[in-house]
Amino acid sequence: MDPYETENPFEEDTDRVQSEASSAYRVNLSAPSSPPSQSSRIPSSPSLGSASRPAFPSSGSHRQPQAYKSDFCCTRDQWLHSGEEVEIVITDALKTSVNSSSTYITYVIKSGTAEAQHRYSEFESLRTSLARLYPTLIIPPIPSKQTIGDYAVKQAKAKEDAAMIARRKRMLQTFLNRIARHPILSNEHVFHRFLDGEVSWTEVLHSPPLSLLPTNILKAPSHNPTDQNASPGYTALPNPSATHALRRPDQRFLDSEVFTNKFAAHLSGPMEKVTRRTMKRWSDSSHDHAELGAALNGFSLNESGQLSSAIEKTGQAVDATYMSTTLLLQELEQNWAEPLHEYTQFATIIKKLLVYRHQKHVQYEMTQENLEAKREQLEELEKSEHAARRLEEALGRGRTSADSPRTEDGTPSSGDNSRADTGYLPPHPGPNPVRRRAPGMGFLSALSYTLHGMMDVDPATARRNAISKAREQISLLEDALHLSAQDLKYSSSTIQADLDRFQRQKVADIREMAISMAKSHRDWCKKVSREYIRFYVVPLIGSCLTFLSQNLEAWEEAKREVEKIPDHPNRMLEEIVEDSGGVANGSRESTSTIDGH
Amino acid sequence: MLGEDDDVFDSVTWESPSAPTYDAGPSAPTGPGFRQSTAESEPGHGPHDPKWEGYLITSVKDPVKELADTKDAYVSYLVSAKTNLPIFSTPNPSARRRFQDFVFLRNHLSKDFPACVVPPLPDKHRLEYVTGDRFSPEFMERRRADLHRFLQRLSRHPTLQRSTLLRAFFESTEWHVTMHQHVAHPPGPEHTTGVIDSISDTLLNAFSRVRKPDERFLAMREGVDKFEEGIVLTERLWSRIRNRTNDLTGDYHDMAVAVQGLGFLESGITDPLNHFSNTLLEFSALLRHTTQTTTDPFLIHLHSLLQYSHANRAVLKLRDQKQMDFEELSDYLSGVTSERDRVDALRGADDDRSRVEKMRKLDAKIKELQDAVQTAHETSDAFSDETLREQTVFQYAKEAEMKEMLGNLADGQMEFYKAAMDEWDRIIPIIQRIRVDV
Repeated sequence: MDPYETENPFEEDTDRVQSEASSAYRVNLSAPSSPPSQSSRIPSSPSLGSASRPAFPSSGSHRQPQAYKSDFCCTRDQWLHSGEEVEIVITDALKTSVNSSSTYITYVIKSGTAEAQHRYSEFESLRTSLARLYPTLIIPPIPSKQTIGDYAVKQAKAKEDAAMIARRKRMLQTFLNRIARHPILSNEHVFHRFLDGEVSWTEVLHSPPLSLLPTNILKAPSHNPTDQNASPGYTALPNPSATHALRRPDQRFLDSEVFTNKFAAHLSGPMEKVTRRTMKRWSDSSHDHAELGAALNGFSLNESGQLSSAIEKTGQAVDATYMSTTLLLQELEQNWAEPLHEYTQFATIIKKLLVYRHQKHVQYEMTQENLEAKREQLEELEKSEHAARRLEEALGRGRTSADSPRTEDGTPSSGDNSRADTGYLPPHPGPNPVRRRAPGMGFLSALSYTLHGMMDVDPATARRNAISKAREQISLLEDALHLSAQDLKYSSSTIQADLDRFQRQKVADIREMAISMAKSHRDWCKKVSREYIRFYVVPLIGSCLTFLSQNLEAWEEAKREVEKIPDHPNRMLEEIVEDSGGVANGSRESTSTIDGH
Repeated sequence: MLGEDDDVFDSVTWESPSAPTYDAGPSAPTGPGFRQSTAESEPGHGPHDPKWEGYLITSVKDPVKELADTKDAYVSYLVSAKTNLPIFSTPNPSARRRFQDFVFLRNHLSKDFPACVVPPLPDKHRLEYVTGDRFSPEFMERRRADLHRFLQRLSRHPTLQRSTLLRAFFESTEWHVTMHQHVAHPPGPEHTTGVIDSISDTLLNAFSRVRKPDERFLAMREGVDKFEEGIVLTERLWSRIRNRTNDLTGDYHDMAVAVQGLGFLESGITDPLNHFSNTLLEFSALLRHTTQTTTDPFLIHLHSLLQYSHANRAVLKLRDQKQMDFEELSDYLSGVTSERDRVDALRGADDDRSRVEKMRKLDAKIKELQDAVQTAHETSDAFSDETLREQTVFQYAKEAEMKEMLGNLADGQMEFYKAAMDEWDRIIPIIQRIRVDV
């Protein structure tokens, strides 16, 4: 897809006063070479009608213009980045029992020429794997698992519930297409292999890169968790909890977090609730209409002539309302409720992502603290080494007072105190003798350490060992700090970028949702009103099918004509009014008033 | 009802009972020279086809609260008509009447024309009287519509439209005088409390059935049953849909609020989302509007049609009673006759004088009964004929009302769908203008 075309629909946006017709016209002019993409991008331009309604995720409207890629890792990759509008389709859901003791449903995925079959759990596994491979990206959600309640209610039938399978089919397809349109994820070979279906998923799971995934992704580089040559500094990184408070939080991500929370609360709260309620009502309403239609049909059988057919037509109109309400309901579910739910899931995923970044940030800060602590420790050790030496010298010179190290140690130990209050929160993997000291005991323990060193058989060696160890740790921590800083930077920027991308995608999808909702309702109105019009005309004029093709206004004209048709004597009464006057006087002579016997 | 109608054979014809000419205005043409025009004499009409003499278009308008500041405040309505019926002295009579006058009109019409289906009046709505809401515009408007429908039904009836009482209702400037006269000199022959009354009272019980059911009326009864059944079912389902639609109205309102909330969150697309939210609100308003202007009147009309049908059913039942009167009387007559035969057979065995006396008594009774049976038979037959015609009339009225009702319904629905369609159509380009960055 060339960038010019991708930009195209938004050029018209700059000029908001355009009429719908003219904007559609312009699109047609400027994008004549790619009708399919146009139909998905402007799905509701009036000429296209409802047939070309796109599935979610909508269109290529939020698709990244792919950089021209030359080094494809496999044919799937090539297909995905062929520059054309590609669509992965789940064509079928089959019931099988291959490799399993019980039956399950596999989904047939068709991507270009390749066809693969995967079951729900494999989709789930793909998603988790991707999430671990790309801890900084928003991996699209898959339909949530059925609740235990569902299983309990439907029992054995639960797995074969047609509606559920259809919903999963739709949402899994959305999932795959979202990945395929993701600028980074679409390049992932694991995903290509998933689509190819040439090797079983278990095999993919047990081969690189998935088999190389570390157990704790927090201790692996963010940009590539499977990097085997990652610096050993990563192992030195702490493993903070998600609730750990940051000292210097990044305002941008705080905002993101607040926003995501609000968004999630709004979606899962008012939006989803109202939607569910509305759909429930519509389905009840369609039910009622079905009943009413049947009742009216039965009613019409008891009547005769015009009245019968009028009632029957009303019944048909009501039936049509039922039919189109069912359709509306279906579309509402597919194009409004499901995306809504998807976005609720997205919000959860983003929350997780933000937690990851938060942890990375905490990691960075903790490493920094550790490093400082280590440095102090080293300093201290060196100091005590120095003191010990002096002590030795003093001892050698003759026994002098031990007061001097005491006073000299007093100052740093008070510094230790304040540090101990604020720092050392994280559990640290390496040996940390300093930590064993209770806060406030700095002076005493330092002294005892010194004395202990003096008593040691070979105090100088022990001290030197400690010093070199501390130096090693410091260099490791310095590495780790560096890596962690890098990771944090990387995570922040990627997450930010993906969040931005997500925001665009969201806007695009909300747009699609709103449009499709508007269209569904409009189609619903159109269908029902057509039926009412038909009801009006057919019984009263007869089978004037030619009229049926005309529009609403014409029908209302026709209806007014129809009203004038005298279809029974009572109507006559009113008819006479039109040409009354003379008739009134004339008839007075000929008719009688009523008088009894 | 039954007692006073039994012998009023005359009153079961569709012609207005004789009554004094009350109106002081240009007198109705009651002079000699006009001929009786009956349905039967018209070519192309079956014996039971009703015949309309002319048209009468009525309307009830302009409710006004009278004596507003007193405790006797009431509402008067302007009733007016356009007509070419010769009984009316002017083609455009009109008068102001209050609800009580309608009640009087209905009561006396149903008394005077027992074989006619006199449409029912709207409920009195006692509650509104207690709460004092009966002067609220909604209440007055609703009652006006009900009364309008009542008069429309009367005017569509070929017999009732020409009744003198109805004429007085439209024309009389001294309605109170008319009412009193009507009560003091009811039309038709004076009620004679004859033997039929006493006999039928003793013989009839509420559970008796017609012994020789007339198939025409059976079919008719069945038709009425099914019609009412259909109406009841339709009414029930439709009011359920109405409630659902009401709920949906609220739901769409809530959804509009939710979408607006989303708009606040999504700072980039706040404006289009607000538009979308407005569309949802508009849709909700449209739903409400349709409920108020289409569904509710439809349901009210449906209900009133059901009551009209009840009135029709009552007439059918009355006809059955006429037939039962006749059958019971015949039984009684045959009982008395056989008694006489038995007494006659005892000739010689008994005291001659008392036997003759008994025979004389029985003969007199038989004579009386034979007359009564004859009358009852005629009444029953006439009533049956009248009922047949009445059914046709009702059928027409029913069709007219159903047509009006369904037509309004379809109009309302069409209007709703059209408006909703426009609304949704309007929003699509606005949403499409949302800028989607890549």
